[in-house]
Amino acid sequence: MDRIVNDFTINIATANGTGSQSANLILLQTLFDMGIPVSGKNLFPSNISGLPTWYIVRLSEHGYQAPGDRTHIQVLVNPATWEEDLASLEPGSVVIWNMDSKMAMEREDVISYPVPMTKIARGLNPKLARMIANVVYVGVLAELLGMDQDVLEAAIAKQFGGKEKAIELNSEAARLGRAYCAEELTKSDPYAVEARDVEEGGFFIEGNEATALGSIFGGVQMLSWYPITPSSSLAEGIIAWLPELRTHEGKATYAVLQAEDELAAAGMVLGAGWAGARGMTATSGPGISLMQEFIGLAYFAEVPSVFWDVNRVGPSTGLPTRTQQGDLTMLYEGSHGDTQHIVFIPGTVEECFEFGWRVFDAAERFQTPVFGFSDLDLGMNKWAMREFEYPSEPMDRGKVVLTKEQMDSIDNYGRYRDVDGDGIPYRTLPGSGLDPILYRGTGHDEDGTYSEKPDVYYKLMQRLKRKIDGARDKLPAPVVREEEEQDIGVIFYGSMENTIEEIDDILEEMSGKKVSTLRVRALPLHSDVQAFVENHNNVIILEINRDAQLYGIMRKEYPNHLLNKMHSVAYSDGMPPRARLYAERIMEVLKEVGA
Amino acid sequence: MSGKPVRAVKLNVINEPKDSYTGGKSSLCPGCGHDQISSVIVNAAWDNGIEPHRIAKMSGIGCSSKTPAYYLGQSHGFNTVHGRMPSVTTGANVVNTGLTYLGVSGDGDSASIGIGQLIHAIRRNVDMVYIVENNGVYGLTKGQYSATADIGSKKKKGAVNETQPIDLCAMAINLGCSFVARSFSGSKKQLTAIIKAAMSHKGFALIDVISPCVTFNNNDESLRSYGYVKDNSAELHSVGYIPHFSPLEQVEVPAGSYRDITLHDGSTMRLETISEDHDISDAVAALGALHKADAERKHVMGLLYFDGDKPSLDTELDLHDTPIVEMGEDILRPSPEKLDKVISALRG
Repeated sequence: MDRIVNDFTINIATANGTGSQSANLILLQTLFDMGIPVSGKNLFPSNISGLPTWYIVRLSEHGYQAPGDRTHIQVLVNPATWEEDLASLEPGSVVIWNMDSKMAMEREDVISYPVPMTKIARGLNPKLARMIANVVYVGVLAELLGMDQDVLEAAIAKQFGGKEKAIELNSEAARLGRAYCAEELTKSDPYAVEARDVEEGGFFIEGNEATALGSIFGGVQMLSWYPITPSSSLAEGIIAWLPELRTHEGKATYAVLQAEDELAAAGMVLGAGWAGARGMTATSGPGISLMQEFIGLAYFAEVPSVFWDVNRVGPSTGLPTRTQQGDLTMLYEGSHGDTQHIVFIPGTVEECFEFGWRVFDAAERFQTPVFGFSDLDLGMNKWAMREFEYPSEPMDRGKVVLTKEQMDSIDNYGRYRDVDGDGIPYRTLPGSGLDPILYRGTGHDEDGTYSEKPDVYYKLMQRLKRKIDGARDKLPAPVVREEEEQDIGVIFYGSMENTIEEIDDILEEMSGKKVSTLRVRALPLHSDVQAFVENHNNVIILEINRDAQLYGIMRKEYPNHLLNKMHSVAYSDGMPPRARLYAERIMEVLKEVGA
Repeated sequence: MSGKPVRAVKLNVINEPKDSYTGGKSSLCPGCGHDQISSVIVNAAWDNGIEPHRIAKMSGIGCSSKTPAYYLGQSHGFNTVHGRMPSVTTGANVVNTGLTYLGVSGDGDSASIGIGQLIHAIRRNVDMVYIVENNGVYGLTKGQYSATADIGSKKKKGAVNETQPIDLCAMAINLGCSFVARSFSGSKKQLTAIIKAAMSHKGFALIDVISPCVTFNNNDESLRSYGYVKDNSAELHSVGYIPHFSPLEQVEVPAGSYRDITLHDGSTMRLETISEDHDISDAVAALGALHKADAERKHVMGLLYFDGDKPSLDTELDLHDTPIVEMGEDILRPSPEKLDKVISALRG
């Protein structure tokens, strides 16, 4: 039997609220600290305790981070999903299962490792047995796959940072799991891990925490939020880091308000922006639905404001703990009437940090609502990284008139007059005494005075269009990996970044062709995106939703001669994208169009 | 010199003429109670000697919410969306505590679509004046009953209202609002004193002002018509205001009994007893007064409840003395060294 080293997927089925998350993170950290390219995906329920949770650990020498096509090693702890999990395994898979769960092991065609997880845990500490049982399976995996015990114990110490009793108890549980495996089980599977060179300084971070830090380094002055999965940890990340990073002379240089609902959270952002501060909120699709009214006001009254949407599965309450790219159109064209908004779309944790500060610059530069668009996969899973790059540019506070001299130097000032020809007017701040106006959501002329005149409204709407259009090439440019052939191109965005390499490899393997890729990083679309479509014979627009939202935007905005070469592959089932599933769909479409 | 004598323009304590506090021409119906309130706001701000550009005038949507265009033309303002003025004001207030926030709303804006935001602004004790111009009907949409329409009242067109109204003052008292008053747009003197006092208060000041709608709800069968309110108001006390820059000892002492309340900025509110003393620190007494008046189909007038010690939202947030909005990049963006510290903490 050939050994399979560092290239397989482990699926751990537990119930939430049992401490399995800690055990799974210890496993992930151990593999990471051994220098093995590894990624973890937490598939959790919308529930606090007792419902099924799966944790997928993918080891890949290629560095693939998607969940993988199949499970190689299944850990079965949860009786509720036992039969279904077992049935879904391919023959030859490994099953590590809890003998104490009163569930039967009814498959003959798998490699079975029964472990009395609960009994071992009970022997150690009857009260905490349910929690410790999870670390027992980590110990079994460590022995079975050949993980370094010291590295494992260091990961346990890190997970329980400073809590000596917990560290000792969990280390012992892991040792007992390991000992049981060594004494009672005979290894008959091909899977193994081998340590690789460890690059110093790597760590895991969730996208939401990276965005939180980026927001703080972007100078956030007011955060208002209403709790919602999967964005709460973004707001809580900001709240956790602010005291250390933004206390001045013992006092706060920021305000955090937990609002009564998302409407109020959005209102507070507008209030802060109107006053001249950097205000932001973090929410998910249902929250953005509620914020639509204020988004329109911010667009029309031109109030800088930042909204982060960590996308979960819609419509309605949807699948609150699953991932999707289903909110793109809602962000781009949010609120009633004609609108168009700037959307930043990070694809990595590094970009979550970078866009965390950049969104404020864009909001103040263009005096408009700006969205950060992340998703549950990127936001709530832990991703490996090494470094955050300190903001490369000073804060851009936009066209704010602060002094009388500045005001006098502006020819024919009006709050909504396009003095510079870029569609962006100048603004003054409340309390400054400089040219005060009453901001309004009603029609207004260039001085901000109420108006229903046809030509005034028409010109205003044209200017707003010009203003946002002017942002295209000032926003993050797409990331292009172009092949010489320039035959087939794949355009994608956001967290799909973490699956694209594998999709690309599968496509090459299936079609024999090299495929160029382009990752969109902002809306409105950069001119490089159109150039990419121009340069390729056939372009697939790949996204994690049903209705091909980016494809729809491109069809609407691009000239007729490009429309026939753009094709959509849009698929969403709530899961983080599995490479083969998307690659196969791309192949089908390419076949259909004869590419 | 020949010709007409030049009349000296009267200036306030900061040498500003009243013109510095006026606004544009009203487009409301002639005789609207809201216009009376607007002129009271102009007088109050002028008398109090607040720098006009240091006031922020906030509103939602409706007839009342249009009025910020008609006063304080030198102040920035935000005519927001329906029922959402409290949240916008809250966001502005915490980043710039240096301004006097003056919110104007209506009964549709405050008692229906925006009641949640009003409740939570009270709960947080946002440092602002919140005036409800309360006429019992939706004016801009042509006269539908609002949630404050009194039982048994009948507007010009349509049936008698039989639905229980929401008493915003009772609600605010139950929520622990730090300043709760009711007044009448026709009681210029009382209303001026109450608005001045509210501007001197630190915390949320709710002023529910009955402000008759001359077009849809000023008929004899209405409990919110000019005639009805004039004949059926129950005054708790007469309200006076002595600004902090006028020495208290130079003000004439009332003949009857009175009570002085020192406000946050050092000004004094003087409540002169009319028939019996109303204890403004007693929430139960305030609710009792409201219920008694309600049973008698009367409108109680005056300062119902006051708590000068309740910390306002900005105090609770432990903000730096410099308003957040005035801070620059040196304070707002942590240093590269701090980023290094963050990363080493993440590495564990």
